Amino acid sequence: MSDVEDVAETQLEIDDTEGAGLEDDDDDDDMEQITAQKVLETLETAWINEMCAPEILPSQADMLELMVSQVAHMEEQMRDLDKNDFRAVVHSMELERVRYIMASYLRCRLQKIETFTQHILNQEASREPDDKRLSPEETKFAQEFASNVDEYFHKVATQYMPNQQRGEAEQRIVTPNLMSHVFLKANVAVPAVIVGVDDEEVDMAAGSQHIIPYQLVADLIQNNQAQLI
Amino acid sequence: MDPAIIEFIGEKCMISIIPNFSNEPLHLIYGSVGPFRAGFPVFVPLWMATHLRKQQKCRIVPPEWMDMDILEEIKEEEKRSKFFTKMPCEHYMVVAQLVMSTAPDDVPRCEELRTVIKDIFDIRESKLRTSIDAFIKGEGTYAKLDNLTLLEIHSVRPILPYSLDHIARYQRTATASQRDTSMLSASMTGSSSGPNSNSLFSQ
Amino acid sequence: MSRQTKLFGEKAFDLLKELERSSQTIPAFDDDGVRQVLEEIKAIFEENVAQASTYNTSGDRSLWPLLNFRHAALQRNKRCLLAYLYERCKRIKALRWEFGPIIPGDIKQALCEPEVTFFNNYSKSLAAYMCSAGYNQGLPIDLTNNLRPPKSLYIEVRCMEDYGKFELDDGEVIHLKKNSQHYLPRAQVESLVRQGILTHIA
Repeated sequence: MSDVEDVAETQLEIDDTEGAGLEDDDDDDDMEQITAQKVLETLETAWINEMCAPEILPSQADMLELMVSQVAHMEEQMRDLDKNDFRAVVHSMELERVRYIMASYLRCRLQKIETFTQHILNQEASREPDDKRLSPEETKFAQEFASNVDEYFHKVATQYMPNQQRGEAEQRIVTPNLMSHVFLKANVAVPAVIVGVDDEEVDMAAGSQHIIPYQLVADLIQNNQAQLI
Repeated sequence: MDPAIIEFIGEKCMISIIPNFSNEPLHLIYGSVGPFRAGFPVFVPLWMATHLRKQQKCRIVPPEWMDMDILEEIKEEEKRSKFFTKMPCEHYMVVAQLVMSTAPDDVPRCEELRTVIKDIFDIRESKLRTSIDAFIKGEGTYAKLDNLTLLEIHSVRPILPYSLDHIARYQRTATASQRDTSMLSASMTGSSSGPNSNSLFSQ
Repeated sequence: MSRQTKLFGEKAFDLLKELERSSQTIPAFDDDGVRQVLEEIKAIFEENVAQASTYNTSGDRSLWPLLNFRHAALQRNKRCLLAYLYERCKRIKALRWEFGPIIPGDIKQALCEPEVTFFNNYSKSLAAYMCSAGYNQGLPIDLTNNLRPPKSLYIEVRCMEDYGKFELDDGEVIHLKKNSQHYLPRAQVESLVRQGILTHIA
């Protein structure tokens, strides 16, 4: 039986992923070193943030890609182990957990894309390439979904409705309520956060928890100064 | 958020076990665990501990705080304090529940512990309800929730954020309709869309 | 208007109520109901157009509340009808997650033709998305699996019908006979459990 010691190769290199896909293959010098553990932590935070945030957050497609290759790598290494071996079982259990996080994360995003399709597409259209929140695959899915729904509505109903005003299609756009309340934990001390409509300010201590309208802290979440819980 | 997810997150907590086997360290993605030496305690994630325990490959060492004296003290403190006290573990309910259901034999005075932990949870829940009531009546939109654990936060989700969202919506509608009454006479001919025509599927 | 014995928008509201009350996965598409609502929308619209021109030429302000009322009724009809379709969309999407790319025959009968098209298109885009979600590793992430946080690798299941052979990832073939019990990898049998072919015991 082979040794599993190096099953989890804890050092990952972004360049390690085969083929095209990542944008930073321009220069070997800024090849980032990131541990698999760090990638997983990042994904896990992104997953929980995504579940709790009313709007869709920037995609973690590159982190996902790293993790997918890590999982594939470990599965490869485990192939020779007896599946009842203690080590094989524990590694598989961990991989199941990782797969669940990834699947749940992507599902959660798809759900938002399906609910706020047109709104998200409009927003994406107005964003600079570097600020896009959807992965190219998600964008494609969103576009297909939008036209699929439109086609269904048109065939069954809207084509028979008189006097369709342009404004009505706009009214049908579902938008997330950015002022909905969320639970938040500050990762670092954040001074002078505006917490109310009357510009009331609060200093958030590291580790402190709050309930607050999402929009007031959206930037803290994106900067990783705070996370949703 | 599904309660199963709260448990899933809580299962990441590290807990001490005493394995009855020996093995080299395992390099998990989350970091390494082990080495395992039969009879010697080692820290592993809770999900792994419960699995090994079910396979009878280890005994679980209950965390220090799962002790009658400590918990009784916490309970008294929780009763005395107006605020939420800091719990010894961020996921105390999940850890206690999983450890005591998987390995009741590894936990001395298991039944008594179960009761006191439930008491602490109940005291905190009732405190939580009282403060939420005051908070909503005070028309706040922001509150500090220090020392509440994830499960406790979850126990007021979705009702608390939803109530606040609805109150905020009524307030916005009230403001908007005041504005609209003054505009109404200037609106609408025949079949054109009125100022109040609601959006479909509005959030 | 004298022919109106029912209230404006009643039928449209019924559509929604019936859908909401139905305990089926998805009730049959209410062709007739949808047509009636569309007709009502058209009728209201035409009446309003006719009277709006009277209003514009004569300036008879007394017509104004009526025009407004009809307009509101028209909007409500549209809203109910589209909400009906939107809710059906949601349920049709759920079918894809529950049953996979092929709609079971008895359920398919409940869908109208544009709905079947909607399902097929949705199913195709979702499959394409899931394939690409594995990125360049050639590993599709099956999002319709791993629906619940994992608890254990293996689960004890009882077979509810004669399913036949089932091959596990490692090549082992098991025979799923009615009432037989098996101890199987959870991840690989999750979809059979969801379809009711296997039941999770204890």
